[in-house]
Amino acid sequence: MSKKVAIVSVAQSAGPASKDNFYDQAYRVTRECLDKVGMTRDDLGTVVSASSDIFHGGISCANAYYWETTGAFLKNASRQDGESLFAFMYGAMRIMTGQYDNCLLLALCKGSENPENDTCTLMFGDPFYHRNLGLTETTSAAFQMQAYMEKYGVTKEQCAKVAVKNLGNALRNPYAHRRGKYTVADILNSAPAAAPLTDLQIAPKSEGFVAMLLASEKKAKKLTDKPVWFKGYGSSLDTYFLGDRDLLKTQLRTAAAQAYKMAGIKDPKKEIDVAEVTEPYAFQELLWCEELGFCKPGGAGKMIDKGTTEISGALPVNPSGGVLANNPYVSRGLQRLAEGFLQIRGEAGEHQVDKKVKTALAHGTHGFAGQCHAVAIIGV
Amino acid sequence: MGRPVGIIGVGQTKHGRRMDVAYPELVREAVLRVFEDSGLEPSDIDGVVSGTMPSMMEGVALTHFYFADAMQAVGKPILKTETCGSTGVSIAHTAYYWVASGMADVVLAVGHEKMNEGDAQATMTTVAEPFYQRYFIAGAPGVFSMQSQMWADRYGIPEAKIRDAAAHISVEHHNAAFENPYAHVKIRVTADDVKNSRVITYPVRLLDVCPTSDGACAMIFVSQNKAKKLGRKTAWVKGVGYRGEEYFFGDSDKGLWQGAVLAAKQAYDQAGIKNPRKDLDVAEVYNPFTFQEMLFYECFGFCEPGGAPDMVLKGTFDKKGQLPCDPSGGVLCTNPIGATGLIRVAEAVLQVTGKAGEHQIPKAKTAFSHAMGGVDQFNGVMIVGSEL
Repeated sequence: MSKKVAIVSVAQSAGPASKDNFYDQAYRVTRECLDKVGMTRDDLGTVVSASSDIFHGGISCANAYYWETTGAFLKNASRQDGESLFAFMYGAMRIMTGQYDNCLLLALCKGSENPENDTCTLMFGDPFYHRNLGLTETTSAAFQMQAYMEKYGVTKEQCAKVAVKNLGNALRNPYAHRRGKYTVADILNSAPAAAPLTDLQIAPKSEGFVAMLLASEKKAKKLTDKPVWFKGYGSSLDTYFLGDRDLLKTQLRTAAAQAYKMAGIKDPKKEIDVAEVTEPYAFQELLWCEELGFCKPGGAGKMIDKGTTEISGALPVNPSGGVLANNPYVSRGLQRLAEGFLQIRGEAGEHQVDKKVKTALAHGTHGFAGQCHAVAIIGV
Repeated sequence: MGRPVGIIGVGQTKHGRRMDVAYPELVREAVLRVFEDSGLEPSDIDGVVSGTMPSMMEGVALTHFYFADAMQAVGKPILKTETCGSTGVSIAHTAYYWVASGMADVVLAVGHEKMNEGDAQATMTTVAEPFYQRYFIAGAPGVFSMQSQMWADRYGIPEAKIRDAAAHISVEHHNAAFENPYAHVKIRVTADDVKNSRVITYPVRLLDVCPTSDGACAMIFVSQNKAKKLGRKTAWVKGVGYRGEEYFFGDSDKGLWQGAVLAAKQAYDQAGIKNPRKDLDVAEVYNPFTFQEMLFYECFGFCEPGGAPDMVLKGTFDKKGQLPCDPSGGVLCTNPIGATGLIRVAEAVLQVTGKAGEHQIPKAKTAFSHAMGGVDQFNGVMIVGSEL
């Protein structure tokens, strides 16, 4: 990496449906993020936002709608579509060229003004083959879950434990949308969705506005005593047709390998102190943990039985409650990263993990059965 | 500016009404051509940038999924850049920053649109929010007509003169399209044809307006080291500028459009361009409307504010003029929106590498490319040169 980049400030909105309008919500996180480091809009170098027209209340060109609300008026700015960790990467790149010493990132999604998530994800399918089958993120995840349980003998109870853990963790996260003290039986007996998935194993549709300020090394040291450094990033795209893929051997391996290489991580299980992963479906947290190298393939069922990924465990995963607790579609990747930032700074409040956090991993995914993955690693 | 960034390959589809191919096939056509043109293979690519117009255009959302295979992007890092009509130039910017940052050595940029699958004007109407603007800002022509009227009124330009200048531009571009093998609309028109064509939105007439095209464009951006190793003719990125302004149409001055002025200024400052009309050899201005093209000439400093019609009528911006503009036929003859901005950059690259064929401007060394987007909201510029 040619130049160091730090995260110096974050702000986020809460997940439940809000009566505030989009502009107010977007402005508030932008303002809070800048206020925390005493910056004004005039000091902003460049802005990269993440949003998606399909998740934008029926208004096309989402970036046009919110442009000046996010501080981008007359700035050299840009937008990433679909995955907000893309915006993190793009913002970091802009700083690494030396042209800008800071970059504001925004992830914007007002779930309450969108139709059901799967009404939108249905539109990922081509109109000739996929869409007529009713393939959505949920139905394709159901295929993946079935294949996962069959191949490795992971049980539905082990999958349900992810929801018990994450919705329980969410009790300590003031921004969470869905939270509660559930038993494995509660999760499995919740309303049936796409079998074998039940309602409480599927993420809700949430609001999510996240602002994050990146800075060059020199600027970061002026703005904060506790910069959190960008260490590694990777992303990878899988082939389109679901039937052409091995749903249990995903491009997350490729994305993680790139990120680990850049960050110099040899043994992720030991070197990552906390992970925030995008698990819109409970079992996916198990599968993603395996793909990230936290355990061997098929080993995540035992890992959750042992409590390794609990908030007090050896490798806490989703102490914030993850995406099962808060699912603003496009914003969820950057929200994971914001949570990693808070954990490293010791500012995660009630859901701060027990151990000292030096290195955090944030993961984002979107598309059928995780067609695209992005992984970011940050640290002290 | 970060590391120097070169462009070593361009691939375009034959643009037009492409009912002979499905959307992924269209994308594949451009991608195969860029590999052919650059001599590289998919395994050489470190990352892919993709982009298009909103999902409503063709009815498929987040198209990087759909085109993963067509873009040869499986197993590759991906970024998905979208900024409305300026998407194409924003894709080029993303690829540029990726290489300039040192995070990649070889980046494939792909822009695409298959507009005949949907209804472009209906899509653009949904760019305006449903409470205030959507009722009177419907589609593109209405917006750009209002802008033209504002501009004409500001500088007191007689209507007949603007009409003559617009017709001049239309005739010039329609002729130019015959020299571009990839252009969509190829018809010979006279100034009278333009002036008497059907009114779309007063004062804009049919031959003042771009078509609805299907098309894709792909380009490969490389680091200096990689360019040296490949030893091929390379265009170098000299300047990159982008500005966006208010969402509400009435909030800003569109007559002397500060977003366009400042986007160009940023790129000029980086490229060391003081006098654009002299320092640039050719420009590919995003010109879906003849009237708006003149306004852009002024914002980009090609002439004084209000002075464009006179200069146009003098032939300053003709193919043989002092600063040839849109010798490819421009957007007026070809407009697959998500690809259009990238095609402007591609045409600039073809010019400075001497590969523009029949529409080559002799000895072109520095070329300007531009795209505009939103309801008159965004402007992006990229300047390329033949020398590092």
